[in-house]
Amino acid sequence: MKDLKHIHYFESLLQEANNELVKEAVNKGGIPLGYTCYFVPEILLNVGKAFSVRLRAPNTGSLDLSTYYLTNFLCGYSKAILERGIEGGYNFLGALIGSETCAEMNRAIEHFELLNLIKNENFFVAILDAPIKISQHGIEYYSKQLRRKLLKPLNENYGIDTSDTAIRKAVEMHNEISLIMNHISEFRKEDNPKITGTEFHILCLIVSSCPKELIIDKLRETLEEIKVREKDEDYKYRARVAIVGSEIDDYKFTELVEVSGALVVVDRYCFGSFPGMELIELRDGEDIVETIVRHYFETSQCPRFMSKDKVEGRREYVQQLVKEFNADGVIYQALKFCEFWGYEKPLASHVLTNEYNIPTVTIDKNYTLDSAGQIRTRLQAFVESLEIKRINKS
Amino acid sequence: MIGLGDLRQPGTGLFKHREWRGINDTLYDYWRWLINWKDLNVFIAKAPVKTIKSIFRYRWMTSYLATHAFIDRSTSGLRGTSLRVAHLHYNMIVKHLTYLLHVSFTEDSKVVLLDELIPPQIIGGFPNLIPVPAQAAPIFVASMVDQQLPPHYIDVIEYYGVPSDVCPLPACEAGIAIEDDYPKIGKCMITTNMPCDGSIMTSAYQDRRFQLPTFPLNIPLRYDEDWTEDFTIKELEDCIAFIEEHTGEKFDLDAFKETCESYNQQTKYELEKWEINKTKYPQVTGANIWLYRLYYFQGAAGTDKRFIEVDKKVSKLIARAYQNKEKNTKDLRYRAVIWSCPANYYTDFPLWLENCWGISGLIDMETVSSTEIIDTSSKKSMLAGLAKTYQRATMRKHTNGGYKHALDELWEKVEEFNVDLVVMYDQISCKAMDGLHAIFEEQAKDRDIKMIWVEQDLMDYRTTSRQAMRDQVNKYMFTVMQATPLDESLLEFDDSNSW
Repeated sequence: MKDLKHIHYFESLLQEANNELVKEAVNKGGIPLGYTCYFVPEILLNVGKAFSVRLRAPNTGSLDLSTYYLTNFLCGYSKAILERGIEGGYNFLGALIGSETCAEMNRAIEHFELLNLIKNENFFVAILDAPIKISQHGIEYYSKQLRRKLLKPLNENYGIDTSDTAIRKAVEMHNEISLIMNHISEFRKEDNPKITGTEFHILCLIVSSCPKELIIDKLRETLEEIKVREKDEDYKYRARVAIVGSEIDDYKFTELVEVSGALVVVDRYCFGSFPGMELIELRDGEDIVETIVRHYFETSQCPRFMSKDKVEGRREYVQQLVKEFNADGVIYQALKFCEFWGYEKPLASHVLTNEYNIPTVTIDKNYTLDSAGQIRTRLQAFVESLEIKRINKS
Repeated sequence: MIGLGDLRQPGTGLFKHREWRGINDTLYDYWRWLINWKDLNVFIAKAPVKTIKSIFRYRWMTSYLATHAFIDRSTSGLRGTSLRVAHLHYNMIVKHLTYLLHVSFTEDSKVVLLDELIPPQIIGGFPNLIPVPAQAAPIFVASMVDQQLPPHYIDVIEYYGVPSDVCPLPACEAGIAIEDDYPKIGKCMITTNMPCDGSIMTSAYQDRRFQLPTFPLNIPLRYDEDWTEDFTIKELEDCIAFIEEHTGEKFDLDAFKETCESYNQQTKYELEKWEINKTKYPQVTGANIWLYRLYYFQGAAGTDKRFIEVDKKVSKLIARAYQNKEKNTKDLRYRAVIWSCPANYYTDFPLWLENCWGISGLIDMETVSSTEIIDTSSKKSMLAGLAKTYQRATMRKHTNGGYKHALDELWEKVEEFNVDLVVMYDQISCKAMDGLHAIFEEQAKDRDIKMIWVEQDLMDYRTTSRQAMRDQVNKYMFTVMQATPLDESLLEFDDSNSW
C-alpha cells in the first residue's frame, strides 16, 4: 500500500518526548503534564491550558545511572524514564503524575522528587493510590485524591482552569479522538486491512504523546485517507495476531511481529487502543470526576485488579477481541522484571490455550529491542505453527 | 577453645551434640527441648491418622520434622535471660502453629482462610470461626524451618512460566497452588493487596486452587494521607458483611473488643522490649525479637490469649535482667539496626551476627510494624484502629506508600536506638526496596553511618547461600571495621545441606 501521508511525520514526532508539537503547545502557554500509567486519568491532565504527555524514552541508550539508583532488577521502562529524567529529557514538564500501581514505576517517579530533577519551582510530583477492585467508596477515594493531589495544585501552581466545564471540554476532545481512532480500528477487522498493525500502533502513540488539539486534524485527515486507501491485493500475511501484555511504547516491536509474517490486527497493552479509546458518557447530576474515575476503572485491564470478575474478565476480554478481530493467535508479551505481567502472562496464556482453545505464545522483552533476533525467531515459529493449524483446518 | 562453629558437622552444619551452656542453662535448654517434643506429640495424638497422612500428602509437612533443629540453631550461644526468652517465644510459636495445622486437617467448616499478610483481629469478632493464614504453615514458616523446601516450589512455578526475577515468596505460594499442595479448607477466603505486587498476583493462582468465595481486602498504600481511614473502614465493614454472608455467623462486637484489647496488651509488651533495647542493656535482640514479633503480629494478633501469658513472663524476665544489668550476648560490641526484608532460609542470621562478631540487632524492619493502640470505645473507633494497624502491617508498612516509610524510618531508628551500624538486607527480588538501593547508600554516607549490605534471595538459598551471606559480613568487618571476630569458628562452616 501507498504510505499514509503523515506517517513519516508521525514517526518523527515519536523520536523524542519533547517533540515539535509539545514545544509548540508550550510556546502557546500550555503546561505539559507527564504520566506513565492508565490509572492516571488522561482526561484530567487535559483540562484548561494543561495537556498530557504519556512519557516515553525513545532511543534509549545507556541505563547506567538509573541502574545505579534502581539496580538491575527493575524493569527497563522505569529505568529508562528515570535515566531520561536525569539526562534532562523531561525538563519541559510542569508536573509528573504517577500512580503507585507498580512498585517499580513508583520508585522511578519518586526519584524525580528525591533527586530534585526538574528545576521549576512550580513543578510537582503527585503519586496516586489506586484501588484493586471497583467499589463506590473506592471511586470516591480515588476521586478525592485526584482533586487534592492533581486538580488543586494545577490550579494553585499554574492557574489552570480545573472547573467542571474545563473537564467537560477535555472529555469532548477525548471522545472526538476516540471516535476517529475507533473508526480507523474498524478497518483492522477486514480480511485484507487497509492499515497495518505498525501504522495503527504509531497512531496510538501519537495520540498519547502529543497535545490533542494539535494532532486531531492530522488524525481526521488520516482517517479520510484510509477510507479511500487502495489495498495491496498481493499482500500476504501468514497469520492474524493479537498482542497482549504490558507497556509497549515502541512501534518497532509491532513492526518486528509483522516482519515475522504476522499481521497485528488487535492490541491490548499499555499505550495501545484497548483500553483507551472508549467513549465517556457524562450525565447531569453526577460528579464528573467520579464518572471519569469509574470509566477508567471499568475499562482498565491491568492485572493489578484482584476481584474475580476483573481477573477472569481480562481473559474473556482477550477472547472477545480475538473473535471480533478474527485473530488466529495471541502474543502475550511482558517487559522483563515486570512483576504483574510476569505472573499474568503464563496463567492467562495457559487459560487461553487450554480452556479457550486460542493459540498463544509468551515473550519477555527488554524496553529497548536489544534482543530482537531471539524474539523474531520465536515469533516466526509461532506464525508458522498458526499457519500450519490453518492449513490443517482447511 | 572450642567455638560454636566446631559443634557443627561438616556438610550439613547440624550440631554434633547439644551445646554446653553451664549446668543451669544446659538443663533449662534440655527441659525446653522436651517440652517442644511434648507439644509435637500432643499435636499428633489429637488426630494421629490425619496428621500422619498429611506428612505423605503435603511435601511441606515433612519440613516440620526439623522443628527441633530449627529451635536449636535459633538458640545457639544464648545464655541466661536471652535463652529463656527465646525458648518461651519459640515454644509459643510451636504451640500455635501445631494448632493451626490441626485445624487445617480437622476443622474445615469453621475456618476462614486469610492471606497470611492479614493480621487476624477481624476474625476475632466471630468467636465461632477460626482464622487460618493460608500460606503460613505450607510455606512461610516451613521455609524458615527448612531451607531445602522453597526451591522445589520455585522450580514448579518457574517451569510454569513465571520469570525467576519475581519475589520468591509469592512465587512459592503460586508454586504450591500449581502443585496442588494447599489443604483445601474453609468457608471463604480473604485475600489482600498486602504487602506488594507479587502478593496481588499470586492470589489469582491460589484462587484457582481454593475455589472459595473470595473477598479482596483493599488496604491503601499511602497511609500517611488522612483520607485513607474512611476508605479502609468501609473495606473492613464490607469484609465483615462478606464473612457473615458466607459463614452464617454474626459479628460479635464484644468478642471483637476482647480481641483488640488482647492485641493492645501484646503491643504494650512489645514496646517495653523496644524501650529496654534502647538502653545500654538490651535484652531481646536479633532473631529472638523479630521471629516472635512477626509470628504473633501476623498469625495471632490477639486471637490467642496464650501469647499474653508468654508476654507476661517475658516482661518479668527482661525487667529483672535489665535491673541486674545482664548482658544479652557474650560481648555486645556493636549496636545495630537490621533493615529490609530478612531471609527466610536464614532466620538465625542475626544470632550469628551476635555470636561471631558481637553485632546485636536491637531492632529491625519486620519488628517495626504497627504499634497502634486500638481505641476500643466504639465499633467505629475499633475499626479505625484496625484500619491503621492493617495499613502498617509487616513489610507493607515500609515497602509501599512512599520512600519515607523505608528510608526516613531507618534513620529515626538509628537515632532512637543509638546504633553503631546498620545491617542492610539486600533482598534482590524485592523491587520496592531495590528501587531505593542507591538512596540508602548515599544517605548513609551523608550521615556517616556504617552500613553492611547483605545480599540474599529471601526463600532461595541457591542464589546466595547462608555462607555467602556470612562472607559479606566477614569481609566488611575485617576490611572496613578492622575488627576481630568473637568466635573464629563461626567465620566459615558449610551448612548448605542443612535444613
